[in-house]
Amino acid sequence: MAEISFPLPDLGEGLIEATVLEWLVSPGDQVERNQPLVEVETTKSAVELPSPQAGKVVRIHGGPGDKINVGEPLIVFEVPDNTAGIVGTVPKEEAPKRRVRLSAVLDED
Amino acid sequence: MSGRHTGEQHSHTVEGTDPQLYVEVHEPQNDAGLRPILLLHGFSSSSKLNWEDTGWLTALLDAGRRVITVDLPGHGRSGAPEDMDSYSPSRIRADLLQIAFDAGARPLRDGDPSSGLDVIGYSLGSRLAWEFGATQHELVHRLVLGGPNTADPLADFDLVAAQRYLADGTPIADASTAELLKMAQLLPSNNIFALLSLVEAIKGEPFDPAEAIPPMPMLLVAGEKDDRAASMPDLAALGAKSGAMVEQLTLPGRNHTNAVTSRAFKQGAISFLAV
Amino acid sequence: MSNSMLESEAVVESPASATVMSMQQALNRALDEVLADNPRTLIFGEDCGRLGGVFRITDGLQAKHGPQRVFDTPLAESGILGMSVGLAMAGFHPIPEVQFDGFAYPAINQIVCQIARMNYRSRGTMPMPITLRVPSFGGIRAPEHHGESLEALFAHVPGLKVVSPSNPHEAYHLLKYAATRPDPVIFMEPKSRYWQKGEVDLARHDAAGVSPTGAKVMREGRHLTLVAWGAMVARCLQVAELAAEDGIDIEVLDLRWLKPIDAEALAASVRKTRRAVVVHEAPLTSGLGAEVAQLITQSCFGTLKAPVERVTGFDVPHPSGDLEDEYIPNIDRILFGIQRVLEYKRG
Repeated sequence: MAEISFPLPDLGEGLIEATVLEWLVSPGDQVERNQPLVEVETTKSAVELPSPQAGKVVRIHGGPGDKINVGEPLIVFEVPDNTAGIVGTVPKEEAPKRRVRLSAVLDED
Repeated sequence: MSGRHTGEQHSHTVEGTDPQLYVEVHEPQNDAGLRPILLLHGFSSSSKLNWEDTGWLTALLDAGRRVITVDLPGHGRSGAPEDMDSYSPSRIRADLLQIAFDAGARPLRDGDPSSGLDVIGYSLGSRLAWEFGATQHELVHRLVLGGPNTADPLADFDLVAAQRYLADGTPIADASTAELLKMAQLLPSNNIFALLSLVEAIKGEPFDPAEAIPPMPMLLVAGEKDDRAASMPDLAALGAKSGAMVEQLTLPGRNHTNAVTSRAFKQGAISFLAV
Repeated sequence: MSNSMLESEAVVESPASATVMSMQQALNRALDEVLADNPRTLIFGEDCGRLGGVFRITDGLQAKHGPQRVFDTPLAESGILGMSVGLAMAGFHPIPEVQFDGFAYPAINQIVCQIARMNYRSRGTMPMPITLRVPSFGGIRAPEHHGESLEALFAHVPGLKVVSPSNPHEAYHLLKYAATRPDPVIFMEPKSRYWQKGEVDLARHDAAGVSPTGAKVMREGRHLTLVAWGAMVARCLQVAELAAEDGIDIEVLDLRWLKPIDAEALAASVRKTRRAVVVHEAPLTSGLGAEVAQLITQSCFGTLKAPVERVTGFDVPHPSGDLEDEYIPNIDRILFGIQRVLEYKRG
């Protein structure tokens, strides 16, 4: 297993920090990609951050009311070694599907 | 973001002029077969800020709901019409009705859970939803009103002071006005002059919740520390007195800005509207 | 294990020396062995050292062989390949990695103007024994520059050799082979197949008579030859199974080496089947499919039943995300290509 740390992303418009409102996951939870992780509040608005990837939550940083700077660690995931750090998605092995049928008269000349 | 987007500027005219409202209809992957939900955002916000970035849209789509979002005039991706009438609450409500029908909402029919329309509003959106429910009881099934208030803080907004401040920096004496303007200026995407037109139009039609009371079930939600929604119990009493079923939900520790992301708020709304 | 034992096991499906592993593990093992066998080999690239590569291909190698031989580089492909030139001049065998296909572009000057020509330019006094690993092709729904097929670009450059493995067994042996060559080899790893497991016979690459620099028949057939490389080989094998349901017996030829191309193997296969379809992910125009079609036409013009068909990506930049499904030749598009060849009438 490998650990991947996800920092507080740039929330846009020159914001440099955000305050944790509420964690929606806890260490030990298995999360899916895009699952809501945490609510944070900036000087402009409150947002819910979706998970950038699937994995098991190892650690979360900051409790409700704590400030986190953009780029500082927010959450750490544990992922299988062979998918750590990958850009993109591991393809699924699927049974081949077809719509096209072949038809031919094969003259064996 | 799941769901198909049919983002477009709404161009169906109600009173002969194009309100230039930006409408999106979001389809869930697995449709629960229930009526669509119309989302109405707050002042100086947008569908993206109020409903998308906060996780509402995903939560509602995951619950199998079809969602209609619309940016209010001068907000988000909607246009900023020149004429003052485009910003008046009554005109906005007429446009919303047209938008709901164009998006496929149909009047309530007994025993048909796909008929009618649910509405979720926040702040100014709650004011519009209250009035919309009160005037469209053949269409609206249930209401969820976030950060609601018996008065409209925008009606007390000191427009002259705001315009003077924008012109030459003269400080604004009224704290609420100063705060609202600061909030509006924080977002570079906001069209300040269109927002002030909206304020002016609202001043012409201030909120009077007692004038018409929605008869359908309502869920009122506010943060425990939301000063702007301190009068929520009065609004609830008003609804209950006229016979509507009213539930209230208070979100511990939350204020007017950060109540909107609350899971408890979303889950409360989803289950309240899942009937 | 003696040679005679290997000979006797050649007909057995799972020899004692076979083990099941993913392509990631096969490549990792090959690199580990190359480092152990040749003290002049060095592995480096973005995230290759401490992290072990974004695809874990160099996982554990720095810990085992030390940071002097397996190390991270700055995020500068021109530097990675420029450094490889100097190291090769000084007698090392560099095995650099360009993290993704699309990141090779910033190093084109070093690859084309230095690595490919130095041996020629120096009249053989400065060979460039460089094995450039490039995770290549699409299929993992990654962003731009993470799914491109550069084989035609590299194959066009005199002085470069280009190879792409299609399964863990090929990956292990072709990488070990490439890393012992005196010439520069572009080693294109089909990243969508990294996680696929397969049997690897560590002791022996090919059956007797098959050259490690040649193409390889992955499935024998009588009616039509599908020519492919990299990730498209597995897809063509699936297509061949489906075609068999319709009574069409398809041969699948894994080209393996894209420069130089094994023209003899192409000729031998198509002389038998008299029909050919070439499949690749790269765009159609000036893709390697055109080269393959010409080589087949050259050797089999008299016996071909139909012009060679090409089923390829489109003439657009490799798309990101879900659009890959439309871009990369899928089973139905390949079946259509086969049907066009089967239906072809002369005159």
